[in-house]
Amino acid sequence: MDLVERGRLFPMTRRWPAQTTILVVEDDPATAKIIQVRLEMEGLTVLVAANGMEALEILHREQVDMITTDLMMPAMNGFRLVQEVRDLAPPKGRIPILLLSSNHSEQDMVRCLAAGADDYMAKPISVQVMVERLWRLYERSHRVG
Amino acid sequence: MPFPHGLLLPILRWATLGLLALTGGLVLVGTILQYRKDRQNRHRIACYQAWETQLTDYLFKKGYEHGSFGPVSWADRWLFRDFLARYQSTIAGQEFELLRDLYLGMGLHASLPQRLKDRDPNVRAQAAKEISVFRLDEPAEHAPPPVTERPWRWKPGVRMEGYLDQVLPLLDDPVPFVAHTAAQALTHSRSLRFAAPVLTWVMREELYQRERLLRVLEGFGPDLLPWMKENLESPNQNPEPWILYALLVGSHRHRESLPRLLWLLDVPSVDLRASVLKALIILADPEVYPRVLSFAASPAWEIRAQVARALGVLGGPSAVPDLLPLMTDPVFEVRRNAAQSLVDLGHSGVSALSWLADDPASDRFARDIARERLEWADERGHL
Repeated sequence: MDLVERGRLFPMTRRWPAQTTILVVEDDPATAKIIQVRLEMEGLTVLVAANGMEALEILHREQVDMITTDLMMPAMNGFRLVQEVRDLAPPKGRIPILLLSSNHSEQDMVRCLAAGADDYMAKPISVQVMVERLWRLYERSHRVG
Repeated sequence: MPFPHGLLLPILRWATLGLLALTGGLVLVGTILQYRKDRQNRHRIACYQAWETQLTDYLFKKGYEHGSFGPVSWADRWLFRDFLARYQSTIAGQEFELLRDLYLGMGLHASLPQRLKDRDPNVRAQAAKEISVFRLDEPAEHAPPPVTERPWRWKPGVRMEGYLDQVLPLLDDPVPFVAHTAAQALTHSRSLRFAAPVLTWVMREELYQRERLLRVLEGFGPDLLPWMKENLESPNQNPEPWILYALLVGSHRHRESLPRLLWLLDVPSVDLRASVLKALIILADPEVYPRVLSFAASPAWEIRAQVARALGVLGGPSAVPDLLPLMTDPVFEVRRNAAQSLVDLGHSGVSALSWLADDPASDRFARDIARERLEWADERGHL
């Protein structure tokens, strides 16, 4: 890829540490692919799960630094996934989580944040903004940690 | 005349053969149709897989170069349209602008006039959605093309007009979700020239449906409120659209409309007053407390129920003495709202509830609801 062009499109101000891994939990493969490619451009290692159950399996198997998850998914939804992750022993139980949802209701946002999600974005999402939010979450969790 | 028995066998034989031929023909037609469908599905999957990779390249690697997506054959354009539609509700921002360029650059909008009149309701709804999502009526920086070329022959960067006007008739569509999508397309334009038809469409629905359709009207943004104030007929003659007005003031948290809300409280309509009180709860201005309190003795329980919620929000702990009489209201909803308000007030409200729950001399209804709400709050760890 042309780095000059990439820099013009997406000015890179972030310096992700090598081997930073993010788990993308999304049941729509088209959206998952877009997010995956964009995050890989950031130099991140991206793992993709189609629902909360798959995500938990990956979490038990792999070292994951951050999670971004859809809210409405079959088998196990994002809300339940957040609760399950928060029930895990640290450090896995403290992984920063960004929730994405097409439901714009205030009630849902409050419910998700109360369950332990670190941030919330309503769909449609700008992938640029999402990357920026993930970076802020990552910075904050490592400063606090 | 007796039936010639000698003909029976040949008739049966030919009938059997005919039946076999018919069955065979049907099986053959079914197989061919299934084969075609399978082939189409395989083709669709192959196209989608190829386009997904091309799309991510286009969005993140080659973007801003018009036409850099790669060719899409004419026969596959309808497939490509459906492919792009999958991203409408998930992608926004810079990437969505590139998607819009791609959609317009490929001329996928050219078929919209036909699709808006298609027999399939899904196709009609999708066409209306595309007009809204890809902002086809939005002015562009260049001069409009000659009238003969408008509105359907679009050129990149040229203003397109008339798309949303073509969506208007869909408000009368016999299929509800098509009309709903059309209304959403019109409101998302934020153009108040569509306010009257969309409002008329909402008012055609039953009262309980209208509150659900409030979300559609919210699409116009808070600018709809001054428009409604100017254009709706007097609430004394027709209070129903003003119910929507009051609810919209609440959902937009539009403080500038507070004087109008208080004025609407003078209109003797139970539903309107209840809606205004709901909006006042959201605006939460303590100055209106005395005015709200004056409705605590209203003969309509719907109004008293809203007053029971409003007093706690507007008055804070000082509202406890005014809430206690509502705990003995003959209507359960009023008692429950009053008890909930007391729980929400924290220490002072919970003390009052505990006193009611423990006092054998207190009203039986008040005691029961006080106990029920205290248990409810305890289960959730609010105490």
